[in-house]
Amino acid sequence: MDLNLSISLTCFTASYAVALVLEISRLFFRSGIRGAVMLLFGFAGLVAHSWYLAALALTSPAGGVPLSSLFALFLIAAWLLAAMYLYLTYRNTRHSIGLFMLPVVLGLIGVAYAFADDVAPNQADALWLWLVVHIVCLMLATVTVSVGFIAGVMYLVAAWQLKHKSPESGIRLPSLEWCEKVNARSLTISTIWLALGMAAGLLRNLGLWYGDSTGGVTWSDPVVWSTGLLMVWLITATVFRALYRPARQGRKVAYLTVISFVLLALVVSIELMMPAAHATRPASVPATAPENPA
Amino acid sequence: MKLQLVGLNHRGSDLAVREQVAFQGRQVEDALLHLRDRFPGSEAVVLSTCNRVEVYTASEREELAPSHQQIIDFLAEFHGIESRDVLDGLMHQSGEEAVRHLFQVTASLDSMVVGEAQILSQVKEAYERAIRAGNAGPMMHAVFQAGLRVARRVASETTINQRRTSVPSVAVRDFARRIFERFDDKQILLIGAGEMAEETLRYLRDEGARRFTIINRRAEKATAMARQYGGVAAPWESLTAELIQADLVVSTTSSDEPIMDGARFRPIDTARYQRPLAILDLAVPRDFAADVGDALGVYLYSIDDLAEVCEKNRQAREKEWPAAERIVEEETTRFMSDWYYRVTGPTIKQLKDNFAELKEEELQRLFNKLPELDEKSRGEVVRSFDRLMNKMLYPPLASLRDESREGTPHVLLDAIRRLFQLKD
Repeated sequence: MDLNLSISLTCFTASYAVALVLEISRLFFRSGIRGAVMLLFGFAGLVAHSWYLAALALTSPAGGVPLSSLFALFLIAAWLLAAMYLYLTYRNTRHSIGLFMLPVVLGLIGVAYAFADDVAPNQADALWLWLVVHIVCLMLATVTVSVGFIAGVMYLVAAWQLKHKSPESGIRLPSLEWCEKVNARSLTISTIWLALGMAAGLLRNLGLWYGDSTGGVTWSDPVVWSTGLLMVWLITATVFRALYRPARQGRKVAYLTVISFVLLALVVSIELMMPAAHATRPASVPATAPENPA
Repeated sequence: MKLQLVGLNHRGSDLAVREQVAFQGRQVEDALLHLRDRFPGSEAVVLSTCNRVEVYTASEREELAPSHQQIIDFLAEFHGIESRDVLDGLMHQSGEEAVRHLFQVTASLDSMVVGEAQILSQVKEAYERAIRAGNAGPMMHAVFQAGLRVARRVASETTINQRRTSVPSVAVRDFARRIFERFDDKQILLIGAGEMAEETLRYLRDEGARRFTIINRRAEKATAMARQYGGVAAPWESLTAELIQADLVVSTTSSDEPIMDGARFRPIDTARYQRPLAILDLAVPRDFAADVGDALGVYLYSIDDLAEVCEKNRQAREKEWPAAERIVEEETTRFMSDWYYRVTGPTIKQLKDNFAELKEEELQRLFNKLPELDEKSRGEVVRSFDRLMNKMLYPPLASLRDESREGTPHVLLDAIRRLFQLKD
């Protein structure tokens, strides 16, 4: 198939945005066909998104591996969340999951756009495989932290609705039990992914230092210590949840995952704003996404 | 004749007011006894459910019928409250309005959950209690039996109660389902073993619930229900321990006072480590004080919290509403016509008696003059007189029935009495 199509970042972003607007419209009026239209836009967005990533992979210096930059990393994270959104909405079109998921999807696309001028790491690097493991694990940690955050916010909104005896109109959400389960699992899983990602990064760094190679990251790098902070927080939250019984269920898990997401946002902001060895973007070039990677 | 209704229901008054005047268990019999003593010339039925407290009275003679203020005073006195406390949202209807209301109630059109099946058995029970207590006479028999007929017609001629709907089903479907994804792994505690508890239990079983504990003050009822539905009965004293274990509580006792308040619940909440607990308090008066719901993981719902959901249910059944209303209207008109016609009963009886007396006199005179008549001829003469009498009575009786459709035919009755010189 000719991938030289006019598929652009704007194309799937707009599709997700329309799906989000339709989700928001649930708050104001009822419609019989909205669910189908919403799914259609979500699906169209996901197809365009997939083609874009496929094109990105084919033109990637890594040869078929799209995870060659932070730009691609955040786009894949957004793709995974969008796919989850479609699956969950398809399973139950009455639930307003998109109201919480699509802003995160759009946010991740926005973050990807900010990293558009990222320079891909050197593949000639002997420890390039560790770098891929590092990136994949961090990407999956980003996705699971985001899922935990979404489930956490949904839990808090649902708990508020139930406490205030609000009928299930406007924002319809999955059960508290479902939100809590997703929430708790994502806290544990994100801790594991982040730990694996950091371990891979650490091993690569040690390898670079002992192998006299250049390109290692210093421990004082802001991204290193902010990610370390997130790691410490996730471990603390997981241990806290395991040891402190009231935190095993209910709102406290939701608060823990919301804080995890705030710290993730902090890590991303530091990566974007502070000069760090992780930032591979040329300082003088403004961020511009490849409109048509193929 | 006077038929009236005084009461409170979920439309006009809050649960807080309704629970003050609700009659629990034996209180209904006591109330009927008091009503009979206080208003000996009047029949009475007391209908007390979680959504309504209604006192129906009927009297052949208007001067013997209690006024609505007397019924209010009775309610207040019986429950030891001030009369003004029950005035909020109080409903007073008489005659046709009261009949229509009763028919709507029995047909479940006035229920919180339109189409629910429970109200019919509650009305039947109220009527049977009045019969047992000697408070129901011919008028109550007529109106309540007509009400039960209306309910049967609405059930068979419309689809308004096709889906099994009840307050417990709405409580489980619209609230418990928002908290729990599944019920098969949840510990369910039923407090109370009455009809509402049984209905909830059946619904929860349909939803997949398997682990039930039933607690009741009368342990034998809990044991019987547990045996029937495969649950476990627990003694009343273990309420605290059971609340610590439970995920979902359905409370339906007929207790006058809350069985749990915030202060007593605090240690339970601590022992639960804030594990979510859904409490469906379907009792009136409430079993769980409102401050129990202040605990972090507790989601407490009372009957009034279901109101909005029930209104949606009502809207969903609107298509069937006109057909059901039409049946209620038809039956109300028919009943009222019969009711008004009943007023003419003594006059008609007197008229018929007078005619029969005249007929007997004339027959006697004729047979005395014609002793040669054989039995067959005598029979023919008697039948001929009967036909003549019926033909003569038909026009005034038909006019009375026609006039009764619009109300008691006082003018026509008076005219008949004067024309035929009927004496009181």
